[in-house]
Amino acid sequence: MDFRLTQDQIDLREAIRDYLSGEHGPEVLRRLDAEGNRDAAIWDGLVGMGLTGLLVPETQGGLGMGLVEAALIAIELGRANVSEPLADTALVAAPLLDEAQQADVAAGTLKVALGHPINPWIADLDQAGLLYAGGIARPAPDAGQSVETVDPLRRLFAATPVAEDDRLLDRAALIAAAQLIGAAERMLELATDYAKTREQFGQQIGQFQAIKHHLATVAVKLEFARPVVLRAAFAAQNDHARTPIHVSHAKVAATDAAMLSAETAIQVHGAMGYTYEVDLHFWMKRCWALAGAWGDRAFHQRRIEAAVVDGGMTIGPDTTFESELHHG
Amino acid sequence: MDLNYTTEQQAFRAEVRDWMRANVPAQPLKTLEGREGYDQHVEWERKLASGNWGMVTWPEAYGGRGLDLIRWLIFEEEYWGAGAPLRANQNGIFLLGPTIMEYGTDEQKARFLTPMAKGELMWAQAWSEPNAGSDMAAIRTVAVRDGDHYVVTGQKTWSSRASFADWGFGLFRTEPDSKRHKGLSFILFDLNSPGVTRRPIRQLHGEPGFAELFFDEVRVPVANRIAGEGEGWNVAMATAGFERGLMLRSPARFQAMAKRLVELYRQHRDTASPQAREAVLQAWQDAEAYALNTYSVAATVMAGGHIGAEASLNKIFWSELDRAAHRAAMSLLGAGAELRSLADGSENSWLEGYIFSLSGPIYAGSNEIQRNIIAERLLGLPR
Repeated sequence: MDFRLTQDQIDLREAIRDYLSGEHGPEVLRRLDAEGNRDAAIWDGLVGMGLTGLLVPETQGGLGMGLVEAALIAIELGRANVSEPLADTALVAAPLLDEAQQADVAAGTLKVALGHPINPWIADLDQAGLLYAGGIARPAPDAGQSVETVDPLRRLFAATPVAEDDRLLDRAALIAAAQLIGAAERMLELATDYAKTREQFGQQIGQFQAIKHHLATVAVKLEFARPVVLRAAFAAQNDHARTPIHVSHAKVAATDAAMLSAETAIQVHGAMGYTYEVDLHFWMKRCWALAGAWGDRAFHQRRIEAAVVDGGMTIGPDTTFESELHHG
Repeated sequence: MDLNYTTEQQAFRAEVRDWMRANVPAQPLKTLEGREGYDQHVEWERKLASGNWGMVTWPEAYGGRGLDLIRWLIFEEEYWGAGAPLRANQNGIFLLGPTIMEYGTDEQKARFLTPMAKGELMWAQAWSEPNAGSDMAAIRTVAVRDGDHYVVTGQKTWSSRASFADWGFGLFRTEPDSKRHKGLSFILFDLNSPGVTRRPIRQLHGEPGFAELFFDEVRVPVANRIAGEGEGWNVAMATAGFERGLMLRSPARFQAMAKRLVELYRQHRDTASPQAREAVLQAWQDAEAYALNTYSVAATVMAGGHIGAEASLNKIFWSELDRAAHRAAMSLLGAGAELRSLADGSENSWLEGYIFSLSGPIYAGSNEIQRNIIAERLLGLPR
C-alpha cells in the first residue's frame, strides 16, 4: 500500500505541464477562439510529446502506460484547457482498439470519436477517422453540421443512436473527471492570482477574509476530490470489480469541485469574470461541458445509490482498496 | 502508486480483528462526558492496553508497537469497524504524546508516555481561557518562577475531560509582562494539586465533560515544562497540528458512521426527503474520500514528508462531514430525532452525535481560523 505517485509519474506530469504551459497558454486559447477552434500545429506538438501513444503498447510505437498515468495527463489537459480530441482518442479509445489502429493513434494519424447513448452529441466527429461505440470501432460517419455549445473551443455533432458500453462509459467518465480536476485547479489559481492583484478600498481584495474563505473552501473540496479520482484510475487500471462505483464517485467529486471552483472564481473576479476580458471563461465553460458529459451528477449518484443502498456495498477496509479479506 | 495491501498488512488486520471481536464490549458504553461513562471508558483504555493496543504507533519502549501509519489506519479500521468505544484518553495519546515525543526530555518521556499508553494517566487539555479561545496568544494565566517550581495563578476554560482526568497540559505565561506569542511555556500539571479548582461546565447535551479550571498559587515543578521557557507557542502549534491532522479523527470512524447512516436511510427510505437522500450519499462518499486522502497523506509522511498547513484542509473536511452526516440522520429520524432513546431502548446516538458534531468546527482552531491558514499559507494570499 503506497498512495503516492512514483517518481516516473511525477516526472511525466512535470514534463507535460511544462510543455503545455509553454505551448498552450491562454494566448493560444484566444487565438483559437478568434481564428477557428482547431490548429494542426497544436495536434502535431502533442503527438511530438508522445501523448497520443501514452496508452499504446510499446510494440505499436507507444509508451505502454496505464490509466493512472492517463488520469494524471488528463488533469494536465484540463489545467491547460486542451481542446484537441486527445483525451478521447489517446486516453480513452486507444487501449480498446486493434494493434494497427493503435499504431496509427500513436503516430498521430488517426483520431477517434466516442459514441455512447449517455451523450446526445459526439465531440470532434468531423475530425475522427473512427467512431468507437458499443465495443466496436468503425469508420466515422459523415459528421454533418456541428451544434453550437457554450464552450467556444468544443465541437459537437448530433449522434446517431449507439449501443451501451459500460467499459467505455467508465473510462470516459474517469478521464472527464480528471480533466475537471485540472480545470478546478486552474480556476482556483486564476482566482487566487486575481485576488492578489486586484485592489479595492485601497487594498488587495485577497486581504479580505470573505475572499480568503471562498478560496479556502475550494481548496478543501479539491484536496479531497483528487485522491478519489486517482483511486478510480487505479481500480480501472486493475479491472477491479467495483470500478464503476469508484468512477461514479470520481465524477461526482470532480464535478462538485470544478463547479464550486468555477462559481467561486467568477465571484472573486467580480464583473471582470463575467466577460471575455479575463481568461477564466474558457475553463468555466469547459467545466460546464464536462460536468454534463459522460453521465451527469444525478446519473452517477444513482449508480452509487444502487450499489450502496440497494446492493449493500459497504464501506471500509474491504471496499476502500478492494483488498480481499479471506478472514473469519 | 500501489493501492494493494501487502500480505503482512492483511495478517496484521486479521490479528486486530480477532482481538477486537473477542474484547469490544457488547453493549455501547455510556457517554464519556459523564462520570459513569467516563469510568467505563477508562476501563476500556486499560483493556486495550492489556492487549498492547493502547497506542500502536508509539515505540515499544513506551508501551506501543512501533507501527507505521498505514498499519495505524488498518488498526483504526478494525477498531471502529468492530464498534469499539471513543478513546477517553485522546488528549493524551493523540495530542500530548506526540508533543512529548518531539519536544520532551528522556526523563519526561519515561515518566509520562507509558502510563499514557496504558490508560493509567488520563489527560485534559487546558488551552482556552475566557478571553483566549481562537485568539490563543491572548493567554493571561501566569506561571511565576520560584526556585524549581512555577506558581500558577489564573483561569482556564472549556477544558475537555478536565472534570474527570488526572493531569492537564496547557500554555502559561512565564514572563509576566510578555505579549502575545512570546513568554509562553508549555506546562503539565496534576489536576489534584492543591490550589486547583475544577468547575464542571454542563455542555449542550447536559453532561459535564468540560470544566473551568481555577489556579490559586498552584505549585508546579519546573521539570513539568516541555521544551524551553518561553518556547511554549511553537510547541503548542505543533500540538495543534497533531489535533487538526491525521490522528485525532481517524477516517475509519467516519466510515463506520457512514455505514450506520446508510442503514438508517434504508429503514427510513419511504419517508426520507430528497435532501436527506443526497446527504446520505454525500456522507458515504465523503467518508471514502477522507479515508483515501488520509492514506495518501500517510504514505507521504512515511516517505519523509511533513504535514504543515495541509492539516487545516483535513480539519475542515472531517468536521463539516461529521456535522452534515448527523444532520442527515436527524432528518431521517423525523419526529423521533428529539428523543433521548430510540424505540428499542438504546440511546439515540444520532442526537448525541449531532450535538457533538457541532463542536467540531469550533474546537482545535475554529474553521474560520483554518480557512485563514489555508488562504495565507497554502494559497499565498496577503495577510
